[in-house]
Amino acid sequence: MNVRETQLPGIGRKFQADLRSGERIVVVIHDEGRREIYQFDRKDLDESIASFDLDDDEARQLAGIVGGMVYTPRALERVEMAFDALVIEWHKVEEGSRAEGSTIGELGVRKNFGATIVAVIGDGEQIINPGPEVSIRSGTTLVVAGEREQVAGFQAALTADRS
Amino acid sequence: MDHLVFEVGAALVLAAVATLLANRFKFSNVPFLIIIGMVVGPHIPAIGPLDLGFEESYDLLQFLGRVGVLFLLFYLGLEFSIGRLINSGRSIAVGGSVYIGINFTLGLLFGWLAGFQLAEILIVAGIITISSSAIVAKMLVDLRRTANPETEMILGIIMFEDIFLAVYLSILSGLVLSEGGSVGGTIITMLIVLGYILLFFVLARKASPFLNRVLDIRSSETFILVVFAALFFVAGFSETLHVAEAIGALLLGLVLSETEHRQRIERLVIPFRDFFGAIFFFSFGLSIDPLTLLDAALLSVLAVVLTIAGNFVAGMIAGRNAGLSSRASANVGLTIVSRGEFSIIVASLAIGGGLSGLIQPFAALYVLILSLLGPLLTKESGRIFGLVSKAFSREKAADDASG
Repeated sequence: MNVRETQLPGIGRKFQADLRSGERIVVVIHDEGRREIYQFDRKDLDESIASFDLDDDEARQLAGIVGGMVYTPRALERVEMAFDALVIEWHKVEEGSRAEGSTIGELGVRKNFGATIVAVIGDGEQIINPGPEVSIRSGTTLVVAGEREQVAGFQAALTADRS
Repeated sequence: MDHLVFEVGAALVLAAVATLLANRFKFSNVPFLIIIGMVVGPHIPAIGPLDLGFEESYDLLQFLGRVGVLFLLFYLGLEFSIGRLINSGRSIAVGGSVYIGINFTLGLLFGWLAGFQLAEILIVAGIITISSSAIVAKMLVDLRRTANPETEMILGIIMFEDIFLAVYLSILSGLVLSEGGSVGGTIITMLIVLGYILLFFVLARKASPFLNRVLDIRSSETFILVVFAALFFVAGFSETLHVAEAIGALLLGLVLSETEHRQRIERLVIPFRDFFGAIFFFSFGLSIDPLTLLDAALLSVLAVVLTIAGNFVAGMIAGRNAGLSSRASANVGLTIVSRGEFSIIVASLAIGGGLSGLIQPFAALYVLILSLLGPLLTKESGRIFGLVSKAFSREKAADDASG
């Protein structure tokens, strides 16, 4: 999935995702917390054909449902400034990725990237707060927490093909 | 009898009513505030016992309006970010430059053909060039166009315009406020102004670690006092150097935008900006004699036509250059055509310079038309594009037939 992220100065951030099916989905995150979600028709990318708005809490709930786990970051709502840059990403390990078969310790997730793997979700099992001995298999989903750059760096390293 | 508070209260009631009306019709409150200010202003003869002239409070309202300009420009400075500009990308840089190039040139030509003096031409060009960031952003959100492909270009051009406005206002205020009018005096004033601006740019780059420490204040009471003390003092001090107080506020905003307290200051300033800003537009209306609108009518209407044409063409060039479709490019120009708060601020600078009395009513009428017409053009941009492209294709067909 190809995601383009751009700034909308004075409004917020815009994420544009082109899906495999050819649809284009655009998410606009307003600085004041509201989210707008638009769907574009593949034949006409100038005008959206459908859209809806979410409040911040609705967006988080829905994200939990879409991401496969219902999750409300209550702690985050209380701590506002300190975790300004904290992001939590769900990352599916694709076949043939560099991380496949290594353990978390071998990858040195925290040492090399500064990010933390909060949970490993595979078929039928969930390992919350996995230790360094847990190995990463393709098809599992990693929940990674850290600052935006750290998580992005980790993901980039993870998705790189084995060279 | 001292009716001062009562008169200010009455003014605020009118401003609140105007804003409620504006919200009802989903318009910016700027034109409504100006109109209501003009209607109740001291230029209107009293109707029997109903005398709303605001004689007692006129000066005070003008002063509160001045405070409004300080907050408006302080906020503009806070929003200003060099980093954002650098990250905006090549197509936006080209689009912004094309837009300002075309519209500023048209403004200069228009002022010159209208027979104004040099300083007045520069003010008129400023009034005509600068879009209303507030109206444009509001229209994008209200019309649900934030996700459209042309939106980055529109916001990028607006950002360019804000920066142009900051630099231009600084230079202009030096020109307009320089006394004596001798060439040498003007040059010295300009040098002082430029040096002063450069000083603030250096401060913005170098002083942020120091300011981060100074502003690291827990108590919001202390924080607001420190920030506002700096704002008013710097603005007032700038005035003594012939730099308009509003520019002092803008430059301070610029310096504070580089600190890590930017968002806290912004949150603090927004309610003050909205409150005193409303008084500013109301008091601007108060200062205009509605009868003089007639003298300016022809000029204003011509300027409106020129602005719409210039914006449409500039938007087309900027959009097509960035690889947008014709329809999306038409949206660019038809969205940034709205005029509002900044044009009025440029015009209010002309008061300080004692220039032609025509500038005020011209600006008022021009902004009234384009703050109401602009959003309508934005809303109907699809239909307008259809009409224009039809006209063009017909012309082309005629050309092909005759050629």
